[in-house]
Amino acid sequence: MNKQKPLLEVRDLKQHFPITSGAILQKQVGFIRAVDGISFDVYPGETLGIVGESGCGKSTAVRSISQLHKPTSGSVLFGGVDLVTADKETMLKARREMQMIFQDPYASLDPRMTVRSIIAEPLVIYNRRGLLEKPMSNIEIEHRVEDLMERVGLNKLFKNRYPHEFSGGQRQRIGIARALALNPKIILADEPVSALDVSIQSQILNLLSDLQKEFGLTYIFIAHDLAVIQHISTRVAVMYLGKFVEISDAVRLYDNPLHPYTTALLSAAPIPDPAIEKGRQRIILSGDVPSPDKERFGCYFYDRCPKRMPWCSCHIPPMFDHEPGHQVACWLYDPERDYHAVTMEEAVRDSASSQVV
Amino acid sequence: MNLSLRKSEEQAINEFDQVVVGNSLTKDAWRRLKKNKMAVIGMIVVIIYSLLAAFAMFLPIYPYDQIILDHRHLPPSLTKNAGTLMMDARLKDLYFKAWKGGSLIVTDQQSAQIKEWIALNETNKVWDFCLAEGQRQQQAGTFTFSAADQRTIDRLQEKIDTEFLINVDKVFFTDPQTHKTHNLAKMSYEEVLKIYADLLGMDVAIIQEQVQSEVESQVLNNYKATTPDLSAEEYAANLVLELQALGEKGVSAIAKTNVLGKVKTNITRTAERELKREISEGSAHFPIDRQIQINSSIKADITATKKHDRRYYLGTDYSGRDMLSRIIYGGQVSIAIGLIGSLTSVLIGIILGSIAGYLGGKVDFILMRIVDIMYGLPYMLLVIIFMAIFGRNIMNLFVALAMVSWLTVARMVRGQIMSLKNSEYVEAARSMGASTGRIIFRHMVPNSLSVIIVYSTLRVPAFIMQESFLSFLGLGVQAPFASWGSLVGDAVNGMTLYPWKLIFPAIAMTIFLFAMNFFGDGLRDAFDPQSKNQL
Repeated sequence: MNKQKPLLEVRDLKQHFPITSGAILQKQVGFIRAVDGISFDVYPGETLGIVGESGCGKSTAVRSISQLHKPTSGSVLFGGVDLVTADKETMLKARREMQMIFQDPYASLDPRMTVRSIIAEPLVIYNRRGLLEKPMSNIEIEHRVEDLMERVGLNKLFKNRYPHEFSGGQRQRIGIARALALNPKIILADEPVSALDVSIQSQILNLLSDLQKEFGLTYIFIAHDLAVIQHISTRVAVMYLGKFVEISDAVRLYDNPLHPYTTALLSAAPIPDPAIEKGRQRIILSGDVPSPDKERFGCYFYDRCPKRMPWCSCHIPPMFDHEPGHQVACWLYDPERDYHAVTMEEAVRDSASSQVV
Repeated sequence: MNLSLRKSEEQAINEFDQVVVGNSLTKDAWRRLKKNKMAVIGMIVVIIYSLLAAFAMFLPIYPYDQIILDHRHLPPSLTKNAGTLMMDARLKDLYFKAWKGGSLIVTDQQSAQIKEWIALNETNKVWDFCLAEGQRQQQAGTFTFSAADQRTIDRLQEKIDTEFLINVDKVFFTDPQTHKTHNLAKMSYEEVLKIYADLLGMDVAIIQEQVQSEVESQVLNNYKATTPDLSAEEYAANLVLELQALGEKGVSAIAKTNVLGKVKTNITRTAERELKREISEGSAHFPIDRQIQINSSIKADITATKKHDRRYYLGTDYSGRDMLSRIIYGGQVSIAIGLIGSLTSVLIGIILGSIAGYLGGKVDFILMRIVDIMYGLPYMLLVIIFMAIFGRNIMNLFVALAMVSWLTVARMVRGQIMSLKNSEYVEAARSMGASTGRIIFRHMVPNSLSVIIVYSTLRVPAFIMQESFLSFLGLGVQAPFASWGSLVGDAVNGMTLYPWKLIFPAIAMTIFLFAMNFFGDGLRDAFDPQSKNQL
């Protein structure tokens, strides 16, 4: 799979939000480092799941990729174009291939528009700008809307109704139909099922995987529910405090988690079997997620890591290739050196000297 | 067969085979509004008022600007016509004088009562009492007018019986050579001028010169009114320019109107003579609507009504104009100011507010500081200064009111837009590549429209009040135009003597303001999503 050319390449993407204070003369007092340097590739036809606890920057990462927030630095290569520096026209062309599905189906649909105008909106916008492959007439748009509604499992006769007349699952289907309208290559799904009932979740997940097979879609799929991610993803990235800590094929990650955070996270997921659940050893992390407002020089997980070493406190771990297709950001897996024996003084001295160089 | 064909249109059906009809938020709001009785009544009243105002010119009422000096200060009456009322007023006066002169004898008690009324300035009571008492005594035969008083009464009665109003509708000219008949209003200036000269038996050139100088002085006067305080030479120079700007066509159009007016005056005089003769012969039957022959070539359609047969259901004002039609035409101005004022202020407010709210940052800061500064200025003073600088007419009043009233709308819309800016559907629209304009006007403004609609309906009464206030001060609408405010303002002098002049416009205005407020309140409740459970 990795032989293919990646569809989307994200390199060292950073999204920092300024913190300002003062009522009249606003001055910056710091940054919230919501996304602090993530790099990954997405290959055509796969589903990359991003998992992590609340506030770790999953949603921000997706919004930065789709340029809803302009990233602070880094690059997002999509179809050979860097979206971060792209002009408006190029950006619009790229957006045609890259659509989003939003978390809250109640908030992501304009309550004043009928289902037809919601689904037709991307078509209308691109049609008016003349950016569709071939211009569509109103009747063609109408047919396309009906077609999409049936494709996502909605009765096409409901097209004149308003979003508030639908249930959550139906609304999410409307959101999916809208995302599909322009025939995108990649869909960024920002927790598309977390606001839904469990029974509806599975319907939506199945719909998404059906659509993926049908149209050859690529997904970046965000969730904080590990079971959902396991179900839908081909590869999984685990995120902590604005950084990826582990990225791997889904099967390998769930069978053999490497990073201490991943192990803790996976052990937190309940197992639906009382016998196993009773005897299971859970890893409980001490402390809260630290605030993302200060710059870090050591491992981002150092404060809470059960396996921390002095070395970790002042060296940021790079992504190590543990096996092909399984990368982890932890000094434990550096193939070149074992850091257990390093004392704090040595570590600090090393980090100071490397900074001088 | 036919029925099944019509039914073949596709319909959404739920699991119980019932047809499901779509239901928009607006529809919901309408349903809720219909449940609110006061709001519905308010809406109906507003609609009636608006229809009356809009179709005022088709209503069978007297012209609102026709001055009949004999009919000044007539009280409202459903049964009596103007002549009777005039006579009543005269009689009251005469009886009162008779009481004062001692010829109308009343008991001591009544006399004391009258004196007390006079001390309390309750003139109407005195008059009413004198009239009732005098007529009673006259019938009983214990009182007769003096010879002079009787003569006054007789003269008034004759005037009431004989005076009439003539209106020349159309004037026709029959060409003596071709025997074709033309409407004078549709003929050219030169032709009309020639006819007028013939009518007077004078030379065309002299009259043309006279008309020309009249037009010039008319234009000059207009110019003097718009730009005062220039020297005589400057006026002379400007007059030439103005006349050039009008061109030959413009000048001859003005001249034609003048000449037509003169022809009509001439015809009116002839008709008057004729009608007077008929009245003295006793052969006239009013109202008259007929064609009269002026001379061999000129005919005219005239209508004539008896002047003192008019009925004023709501009385007349200080120059004898019908209050009913003045209130209706006043409503036209007041309602127009309310609607146009709130419309323009809402438009300006939406545009500036949404730009400030959506773009944020420096643009927002600057716009909002402008709003703050304008808030700080005394609002009425600003309008008054504006009116004083740019002149007092209705257009300037609109502009002045709209200019200072968008502030609140702008702030409100800004707040709405800011709260909607981060909602997911706006983000979704951005991710679909929608332009800023589309996001603002297709997504955000429609979603804050309910607030805006409610606010602007509640704004309408406020505008009417402000206009009334300005008119009351004499800065608003100028006579002969009327608005409710100017009517009330005019009526304040002589409030005790002629209370109807104050009461009727005030009632008309109050009812409208009440209705508008109830309607606005109802709209607010209807658009409030939390009142959904009341359905």
